[in-house]
Amino acid sequence: MKHALAVARWLARTTAIVLLVIVGSTVLVRFAPGYLSDAREMDAHYGDTVRAELSAEAARSGSLPHLLSLELRGWLRGDGGVSRQYGVPVSDLILPRLAVTGGLMLRSLILAWALALCASLISSATRKPSMLWQAPAALLLAVPTAAMATLCLLAGYGGPVLVMALLLAARDFKFLHHTLRKAWLDPHLLQARAQGVRTHRLILGYILPSIGPQLSVLASLSIVTALSALVPVEVIFNMPGLGQLAWNAALNRDLPVLLSATIIMALAVTLAGMASDRPGEWRSA
Amino acid sequence: MNLKLLAKALLAFLVIAAAIAVARPGASYAHQDRDSTLAAASRQYPAGTDALGRDRLVRVSAALLLSLAGAIAASVLTTAAAAGVGALAAFGPESIGWLAMLVCDVFLALPWMFLLMIVRSALPLSASPASSAAVTFLVLAALGWPACARAVYKGALNLKSADWMLHARATGLRRTQLVRTVLPNLLPVLLPQFLISIPAFVIAEANLGALGLGIGEPLPSWGGMLLELDNSAMLFETRWVYFPVALLIAVLLLLEAIAVEA
Repeated sequence: MKHALAVARWLARTTAIVLLVIVGSTVLVRFAPGYLSDAREMDAHYGDTVRAELSAEAARSGSLPHLLSLELRGWLRGDGGVSRQYGVPVSDLILPRLAVTGGLMLRSLILAWALALCASLISSATRKPSMLWQAPAALLLAVPTAAMATLCLLAGYGGPVLVMALLLAARDFKFLHHTLRKAWLDPHLLQARAQGVRTHRLILGYILPSIGPQLSVLASLSIVTALSALVPVEVIFNMPGLGQLAWNAALNRDLPVLLSATIIMALAVTLAGMASDRPGEWRSA
Repeated sequence: MNLKLLAKALLAFLVIAAAIAVARPGASYAHQDRDSTLAAASRQYPAGTDALGRDRLVRVSAALLLSLAGAIAASVLTTAAAAGVGALAAFGPESIGWLAMLVCDVFLALPWMFLLMIVRSALPLSASPASSAAVTFLVLAALGWPACARAVYKGALNLKSADWMLHARATGLRRTQLVRTVLPNLLPVLLPQFLISIPAFVIAEANLGALGLGIGEPLPSWGGMLLELDNSAMLFETRWVYFPVALLIAVLLLLEAIAVEA
């Protein structure tokens, strides 16, 4: 019973957050300072009367309840509304790109975790923290994603997966190194090492299970970081993914597309965050 | 000399050098010398010029000052908002605390890059470069507070259950007096959050600018200068186009060193 209640509470909270995200994004768009301005108003071909009419039309269709109902109707219909730029349902633009973005994220996350885990296991097992591992991680963290992607492109070495993986690995390494270092200093592990228990047995049998909860939180943080890095990487490497679509929509003020992309990303972040911290709660329920 | 002190000294040196470069007579980040576009380093232009003939050293220096000033201002706003929300959530009624943390969850669920793009793309088409800079950093501040507020909330909850706090409450200290007592004690939580936010905001502005959605021209920004790297023809003309990226990375390393040591 307790278990069912915990699951129901989790579901209710997730649903509330997703609904609030939809409302919040729409409110943000509506009250952004230039929402009512139209690119056609800058066109010298249009006279003052036409411009005034365009402004009046924008003001009429720009009320918050109208916008919210349009957005919710679009989501209930399953098409996410109609793109201002292309005049087609937003879902037609988003669905083909989800696979590209999903594939990029998955490959980057796997490579990043493999790199970060290997590096942190080696670095944390040494007696003193070595600059050999710390310095590259610090340097990678100081390079903006866009700069790293551009430099990789110019050098002709490495692609979007490598850029995302390096960025994620540097972040993950920082936390993993710290967590593993603390784990290695546990008295029972020190004694086990002193008694000659093999390192790989200690890692698989004791360390990884003991830091499991931290790893799941870090995994969800990796997803959030990857989503933020997605836009510059896809734009610079010209990948037809969700990030590039959102950037294109931002440049062309196609707010229905931008809003839908944001909501999908928010959904992914919410689910990743919830998935990482709920199993522990359910177990203890 | 420890690392933090060294980083502070180097950063101070860079800021002073940048201020001198911007303030020297005749220096202008917007002046175009059409006869010397993409010029190499010379006595007149120590770091060469860009594709429009603008002094690269002055532009990089102005970008450094603008970016640091904007990031620090945004960080002050973020930390102040987080301190207010975190303390209110911890010391206010339980329902307020629950609501505040739900709002934090909602903000944390919104990917900041997409939100930034939404707000930046919805700016008026006729927005001036100065207002685009102000809006960029204001939006960064508006989106940066929830993570910090969560940390403050946890810190404030720990303080709330501390012995001296129980004693203070038992002796009849009012809520407003309690908050006034608590805020100085939250400094160990607030200071690292403030310092961590600065490099994060500098990176965010650079990424946004590199996508063409940051600070408007002719105001110089890191992101705007990263866009120069897209022009491969320019890269063959002069290697000085890498100068802004190198300086940006150096500044970020210094900021990270200061933040980590705090």
